[in-house]
Amino acid sequence: MFNLRDKGAEIWESQGRVGRVAIAVGAIAIVAALPFMGGTFLNTPVADYESVLVYPIAMFVLMAIGLNIVIGKSGLLDLGYVAFFAIGAYTMGLLGTKTELNTWEILPIGIAMAMFSGIILGVPALKLRGDYLAIITLGFGEIVRIVALNLGALGRSEGIQGIPTPPGIFGIEYAFDSHRIYYWTLLILILLAIWMVRRLSARRAGRAWESIRQDEDAAELLGVPTFKYKVWAFVLGASVGGAAGVIYASKTLFIAPDNFTLQISILILACVVFGGMGNIWGVILGAVILGYLPDRIRFLSDARLLVFGLVLVLMMNLRPDGILPRKKREKAIVKKDAS
Amino acid sequence: MSTSLIELKNVTMKFGGVTALGDVSFDVKEKEILGLIGPNGAGKTTVFNVITGVYQITSGEIIFDGKSLAGVKRYKITKRGVARTFQNIRLWGDMTALENVMTAADTHKKSGLVSGLFGFPVSRREEKRDKARAQELLDFIGIGEYSDRLAKNLPYGVQRRLEIARAMGAEPKLLLLDEPAAGFNPAEKVELAATIRKIRDAGYTVLLIEHDMSLVMKVSDRVVVLDFGQKIADDSPRKVQDDPRVIEAYLGVPEDAS
Ligand SMILES: Nc1ncnc2c1ncn2[C@@H]1O[C@H](COP(=O)(O)OP(=O)(O)OP(=O)(O)O)[C@@H](O)[C@H]1O
Ligand SMILES: [Mg+2]
Repeated sequence: MFNLRDKGAEIWESQGRVGRVAIAVGAIAIVAALPFMGGTFLNTPVADYESVLVYPIAMFVLMAIGLNIVIGKSGLLDLGYVAFFAIGAYTMGLLGTKTELNTWEILPIGIAMAMFSGIILGVPALKLRGDYLAIITLGFGEIVRIVALNLGALGRSEGIQGIPTPPGIFGIEYAFDSHRIYYWTLLILILLAIWMVRRLSARRAGRAWESIRQDEDAAELLGVPTFKYKVWAFVLGASVGGAAGVIYASKTLFIAPDNFTLQISILILACVVFGGMGNIWGVILGAVILGYLPDRIRFLSDARLLVFGLVLVLMMNLRPDGILPRKKREKAIVKKDAS
Repeated sequence: MSTSLIELKNVTMKFGGVTALGDVSFDVKEKEILGLIGPNGAGKTTVFNVITGVYQITSGEIIFDGKSLAGVKRYKITKRGVARTFQNIRLWGDMTALENVMTAADTHKKSGLVSGLFGFPVSRREEKRDKARAQELLDFIGIGEYSDRLAKNLPYGVQRRLEIARAMGAEPKLLLLDEPAAGFNPAEKVELAATIRKIRDAGYTVLLIEHDMSLVMKVSDRVVVLDFGQKIADDSPRKVQDDPRVIEAYLGVPEDAS
């Protein structure tokens, strides 16, 4: 059977440095050019094409990469990922309206806030495993939303309005309807997140996460500080969610608790599972497909959740590891078996 | 007389009403191969579990390298110099053989997540060093050619050996082997016996659980026998083999069946 993942890996590995840079630059160029494809078959009938690129697609991709660190890499079922998105967004909303700070100054603060809440949630929750962890994180996601709903300073159900757009950089202005600028901004964040995950995956942290996911007790007994690395996974996942939240708030200019429901957590989880848990390209593909299709196919947009549910059930039966599953190739397997 | 690397003093381990270990005391001397034998359910694996911190002992004391292990976190016990294999293989199947060993070798790394992320020189250096060392260990144990294969796809015998290589990756002073020859044919057992001796000669201290008598008797410097959680013998292989209590424990004595 044709295997996309192995084919891709094969091409990549057969290239030298120059070839790889060329592939990467080419791929980034194509992805960056997507906003200009609005008039083509890619167009979305209901929503504005360029805004669909920003939200849900790019936003889903970014969040799915973040959640994948937690679920895909480390095997920790986090059902409250939306909390970090919300914390990033509310940090932007509050500081953006109450202080003179601009989006770029708030971005690191929002990330830090999300990471900090990752610790607050992770330290007690990560002592638990499996279903218990899932339930606690689920609760956390709801708590954050309910706090926002009840706290006067956060605008209760009205939320926060009049959040400023980012100030221009390098002569590029962010008008709220210049979607492609936001898209490119998110693209940069996505590339950073990919860089982070790929980098860590190949080193100690990646091995620690893998070992935890596959057999946590064995990991601990062979010297992996499992608790520490689980908290790290949470914190790094939170940082990506926080970053997405800041940009989201600075794009929609208005946020309310309704934007941060359990549904978001489930949608992002669906992207991760659908694409292929643990494989970053799979996860990205999953987020693109699940973000895009409901807007591309008109009748799907009304039944988005229903379709998601159906797709997931089908996938779990036909291809339980996702479109691009994690399983690694075995290099030089032929050579070795022949010896 | 050489010094003890690890000493169990009056160790008792109870699970509810079951006394898996009752007042067991013995030590393992540096650079020694100590065989730990006993019938099924005698408490052998439980000894490994209490040493490595899986269970907190009900009473008694375990001294490793001069310090008590009471309340020490499991991964820190490994860092202090104890590593084990598992009776039922517990490799990380989705990782390659090399990665399995490297993950254990990470125990002693100075560089962590942040220096790995930003590629600090210390991280690069350690990564390179451990990769080479992991490959050396695989070669040493005789499975070097499998380094790039996923652990779950390896033949059974290779998996058993990889368990040993992985434990050695953590650079232990004391290596705990839980039935490493289980499922091996006689030829493989002979080979494994040589490997275990080679491991000792490389400077490790080995505590070996094994059911195969001829293997234990051949490689061990000393043998401790457990039966129903009690230590019933602790002597040279020859003496243990002739000990009537040991023979009784293994064969059962009809008139004692009350
Ligand atoms: N977690 C536990 N809870 C309850 N009882 C346990 C537990 N672990 C071990 N035991 C009991 O302790 C006793 C000793 O078990 P252990 O696994 O140490 O035996 P063993 O000597 O390794 O046997 P084998 O040769 O079959 O591996 C058994 O009766 C077992 O049922
Ligand atoms: Mg056992």
